[in-house]
Amino acid sequence: MRRWALLPLMLVAAPASAQTGQALGQTLAQRSPAKTYASICAYCHGHNVGPIILGRKLPVEYIQAMVRAGRNGMPAMRPTEISPAELDALATWISKAPKDIKEHGQ
Amino acid sequence: MSGPTIDRRGLLGAGVAAAAAVGIAGQAMGQGAVIAPGVSKADLAAALKAMRAVVGDAWVAGDAESLRPWSKSYTPDPTGRHAPVGAVAPENVEQVQAILKIANQYRQPVWPVSTGKNMGYGSTTTAAPGQIILDLKRMNRILSVDTELCTALVEPGVTYQQMRDYLDEHNIPLWIDVPTVGPIVGPVGNTLDRGVGYTPYGEHFMVQCGMEVVMANGDILKTGMGSTKNPSAWQAFKWGYGPYLDGIFTQSNFGVVTKMGLWLMPAPPVYKPLVVRHKKMEDVARISDAMRPLRIAGIVPNVVLMMGAAYQLAMFHRRGEVTTKAAQVSDEEIATFAAQHDLGMWNTYIALYGTPAQVAESERIIRGAFAAIDGDVMTQEQMKDNPWFHHHATLMRGGLSLEEVGLARWKGAGGGLAWFAPVAPAKGSETQGQIDLAKQILARHGFDYTAAFAVGMRELHHIIALLYDKSDPAEEKRADDCYRELVTGFGDRGWCSYRTGVHAMDLVAAQYGETNRAVNAAIKQALDPNHILAPGKSGIA
Ligand SMILES: Cc1cc2nc3c(=O)[nH]c(=O)nc-3n(C[C@H](O)[C@H](O)[C@H](O)COP(=O)(O)OP(=O)(O)OC[C@H]3O[C@@H](n4cnc5c(N)ncnc54)[C@H](O)[C@@H]3O)c2cc1C
Ligand code: HEC
Repeated sequence: MRRWALLPLMLVAAPASAQTGQALGQTLAQRSPAKTYASICAYCHGHNVGPIILGRKLPVEYIQAMVRAGRNGMPAMRPTEISPAELDALATWISKAPKDIKEHGQ
Repeated sequence: MSGPTIDRRGLLGAGVAAAAAVGIAGQAMGQGAVIAPGVSKADLAAALKAMRAVVGDAWVAGDAESLRPWSKSYTPDPTGRHAPVGAVAPENVEQVQAILKIANQYRQPVWPVSTGKNMGYGSTTTAAPGQIILDLKRMNRILSVDTELCTALVEPGVTYQQMRDYLDEHNIPLWIDVPTVGPIVGPVGNTLDRGVGYTPYGEHFMVQCGMEVVMANGDILKTGMGSTKNPSAWQAFKWGYGPYLDGIFTQSNFGVVTKMGLWLMPAPPVYKPLVVRHKKMEDVARISDAMRPLRIAGIVPNVVLMMGAAYQLAMFHRRGEVTTKAAQVSDEEIATFAAQHDLGMWNTYIALYGTPAQVAESERIIRGAFAAIDGDVMTQEQMKDNPWFHHHATLMRGGLSLEEVGLARWKGAGGGLAWFAPVAPAKGSETQGQIDLAKQILARHGFDYTAAFAVGMRELHHIIALLYDKSDPAEEKRADDCYRELVTGFGDRGWCSYRTGVHAMDLVAAQYGETNRAVNAAIKQALDPNHILAPGKSGIA
């Protein structure tokens, strides 16, 4: 049997870049790419549902298009969920990010 | 190629300019989208233009390209009639009021969503055609958290991930209760569709307290204690005075909810997840009968999932690993594969919360009840890194996960999923007949029986995941037909759905009788005479 990462521990060990810093009564500020990835993508990618996308140098435009359109099992993410600015930063970050050894394929 | 075209501008407004150049014509809208009855193309275009003036160009979508993110759904829609014709995303209540005014002026219907991830029920697609999605996701403020009363007041766009982050970053020892797909969905949308989670606070409408609702005429209603001179009890007392109104805003189209109060559970000193395994399909009746008194007495405090092995396998495995046949996968094939993976044919997930003594005493009673019906009661230590146990142990403490979306890949890559969820009393005698009927109907259309039962206080929700390959149009059509047959076949026996997708709302409504429909229609007429709010939701025009 493959090894299963204990995802919940991520929450406890979240680095500062993974914080939202949301205060009461304020809308969510723009999230860092690492936080956006951890809050949405990482629950599926490298975690049973979607293919590994880090460390593959996927083209930025391809990543953006996937996020907005979705495909098959991948739901589409609306600009209201991931703002255009967040998506720009996220796609660039994913495209450049090294592989994360804690992630596993399907 | 099935891949997406590149959205170079990546903006909500991308493509708006192009669409304006050709006019908002049929081909410019969501694929196959149909305009609402009685609304002209000119009305729709004028409504979208007026909405742009309210929220800004960037937050209105009105053509196929920019509408793409709102058009994706797992549910069957062979003719494309559920695709929206536009989307508008306000950032505050005043903008919601202004949008409803425009909708009334042009008789252009709008379909409100909160986080808009009603996956397997239609996401941001609509029941009747020709609607603009009123996307409230930008309204994502957490307005208050009362650490003494253990309550919160939130806006529609708040996700469970945001809630969890807020509580963690402020070291507040409160739990949230999540549906299986917590990170990208939220308490307002989930509660309004009367969704469930798996801690003791799993019945979400039960732990909802106070709403702010924008009515179709723009009035703002605060339910419960919210409109009194001292609204400090708004999140503390559900009922207020006079007729209890909150219920009419759930699974309905009578108003746009813009704030919701909810109760949160204090983190317990001890949390102990358990699974009870049974080896035979027929055991389902005994398990239900053993569980009922434990749930009613509160000895088992959480919303329990009795997971069928096929559903469990579909989360983490692909169909081709289990069978080579195209026909419905057999119980024998499932049983063999399940046994190899340390699963029973039924896997019943229970959790205990409280002091060490409370948990120990409950565990003793539960072990006794299940020993009497040959159930293996297993703990975390025994299940080790079993991924299914880990998944349910995460859910039963309100943990965040999306791994169950793997279901959408059981049958081909196509990502087709429609939930069929009929309700019955929690009695063993109500189970086997349902399973036989479901298997029969599913088999006729070439689909597998991948199902679970959720045990509430006194009822069973039979949760059947109709998994199909949406990339194959013929299979999508078969899934649509199959779903309808499930609804009518079960309905004939009195097993009617607690909730359904945009593709079957009328059909399910018909099963609740003409008087119910007439009363709902009268309320609708009184509150929304122009029928601008989500026509077709729950079969209400
Ligand atoms: C694998 C998988 C597992 C799932 N498990 C569960 C589960 O365990 N429990 C469960 O309940 N669901 C489950 N779902 C279904 C669904 O994804 C969740 O219920 C989700 O919470 C609903 O989406 P949402 O919260 O974004 O609500 P939304 O999509 O925002 O809202 C749902 C509907 O409620 C109405 N509505 C929303 N907001 C408003 C408003 N402000 N005013 C008026 N009406 C409004 C609209 O009709 C809308 O379409 C699952 C789905 C998948 C794919
Ligand atoms: C609910 C699960 C889920 C979430 C959340 C999710 N994805 Fe995906 N993603 C998938 C699946 C499943 C696929 C495979 C799609 C297919 O089969 O065509 C996929 C495919 C992709 C691909 C194509 C990979 C390839 O090999 O070509 C990219 C890029 C991608 N996703 C990016 C993202 C990004 C960025 C996020 C976060 C903003 C994200 N996804 C969030 C499930 C998800």
